[in-house]
Amino acid sequence: MAEGFDIEHLAKLARLQLTPEEKVLYAQQLNSVLGHFRALAEADLPAQVDDALVVSEAALRADNPGPTLGAEAVTRVAPASRDGQISVPRVVDDEA
Amino acid sequence: MSNALHQLSAVELSQRLQAGTLTSRALVDALIARYEAVNPKVGAFTALDIADVRAQADASDERRRQGKSRGPLEGIPVAIKDNIAVKGQPLTCSSKMLAKLVSPYDAHVTEQLRSAGAILYGRLNMDEFAMGSSTENSALQKTFNPWDLSRIPGGSSGGSAAALAAGLVPLALGSDTGGSIRQPASHCGVVGLKPTYGLVSRFGLVAFASSLDQIGPMARSVEDCELLLQVLATPDARDMTCFDASHRQPLPVAAPAALRIGVPRGFLGKGVAPEVVQALESVLDFYRRQGCAIVEVDLPSADLAVPTYYVVATAEASSNLGRYDGVRYGHRSTQASNPIEMMTNSRSEGFGPEVKRRILLGTFVLSAGYADAYYVRALRARAKIRAEYLGALAKVDVLLTPTVPTPAFKVGEKASDPLQLYLEDIFTIPANLAGLPALSVPCGRSGQLPIGFHLVGAPQSEAKLLAAGKLFEAAHGFAHQQAAL
Repeated sequence: MAEGFDIEHLAKLARLQLTPEEKVLYAQQLNSVLGHFRALAEADLPAQVDDALVVSEAALRADNPGPTLGAEAVTRVAPASRDGQISVPRVVDDEA
Repeated sequence: MSNALHQLSAVELSQRLQAGTLTSRALVDALIARYEAVNPKVGAFTALDIADVRAQADASDERRRQGKSRGPLEGIPVAIKDNIAVKGQPLTCSSKMLAKLVSPYDAHVTEQLRSAGAILYGRLNMDEFAMGSSTENSALQKTFNPWDLSRIPGGSSGGSAAALAAGLVPLALGSDTGGSIRQPASHCGVVGLKPTYGLVSRFGLVAFASSLDQIGPMARSVEDCELLLQVLATPDARDMTCFDASHRQPLPVAAPAALRIGVPRGFLGKGVAPEVVQALESVLDFYRRQGCAIVEVDLPSADLAVPTYYVVATAEASSNLGRYDGVRYGHRSTQASNPIEMMTNSRSEGFGPEVKRRILLGTFVLSAGYADAYYVRALRARAKIRAEYLGALAKVDVLLTPTVPTPAFKVGEKASDPLQLYLEDIFTIPANLAGLPALSVPCGRSGQLPIGFHLVGAPQSEAKLLAAGKLFEAAHGFAHQQAAL
């Protein structure tokens, strides 16, 4: 079941940078865990997925504006902020 | 008298506070002395603001003097796992990612504790982002089992269970995604309840696997657990999976005098230690003598629970933990020249090995070409497991198993083999997959090491589980026990 397992591609999808040692270790550990998952492939299962998480319309609250944390509380926990806004590295390169 | 305060139950402390023979300040001072003597050995707390808890206790005593007591936990300290938000206190999830985060808001359960008069008493160690069964995955510190300091306390709510067993606090909150309340409760000889999915609001609980996570009470007795549950289990519109008032069963309700107890014998054979089997048989003997019917039940898909859980939980975790991108809160790498590098480096520096392992696994089971084979099949297996549990619980009141296959293992013993550690949760995981309430109650010893048994009931049958637990507890000497430290 685990053919095509590509640790580098997975790390890229997950936005993780792995060291060469980590790549070897995680690939080996994930293969071992996925081997244990083989029982799932072989089991006789119902066609339907679990509906325990289907939320009925009635359970949804009205979409009304309510109090929020406010900019001061939000920027206080941000890694970097300026003038009441969260600052991040430059997204767009300078173009002539 | 004051040196014994740490040994008393929350119910008894509450009675003394109400009678005026004890102040919250005297209680908190006794617990702080205990904390200073014992926490360095056990490592249960990651933070305790001593000046703040004294101020909270003084305020509680003042409310009581003025006849303005708030509720059933007035003046009682409750310690909180470090993934549940308390405004102004650390919210680290025992991760480097959130090491500097101070919560800007209260969880729903925290609001409930405040309005019941509780003292919000410190932060408890855990496996990073609640991923683990030994608390060894904490990036902050180790926690040790108070009954044998060379052993793990269980996890992920290991700090909560260890704090109770060490007499550091009378009540604690844990969270349970696959057994994280019940497994450490069993290993530390305390009581832990995972409520029915939806009974307790998850608002302010840092998300791990949202379809499985529940906050629950932990204590040294079933009675104390019930006291805390009643404060926690209230409607909250901010969690859309939390039952509203019209969908709640009253708590407590009278339990039937003679329970029908289902035992899934086919599920008990593999890897269960002989002393755990022996403890389980003595629990069954006890209930039989009380007039309960012991019935064998069949749960043929129980073997699928561990793989199903690790697909569903890691899939949800890989999605939930996508929010840690170094932008809005949490660790931001200084080694980045563009946003993608900032995200990748922040995550790589902030997350520990188990969290990375589960994000990678969850990413894989959701990835193109594999989602049908893993994630969708796991959802189908989950439906089957849930149907089998509900079917069995239509015939019996509760299902009874051990909580954990073996007593607490040595620190480091399973650290290099994640699969072995995942199998610790074999008895606890199905209740999360099926959304059912489950309780762990101490029932024996292997030498010094506690053993617990596990009761699972139908949705919102907490009162029945608690009544069954109390019946056992009243006839045995395992409640209120603390390790000599």
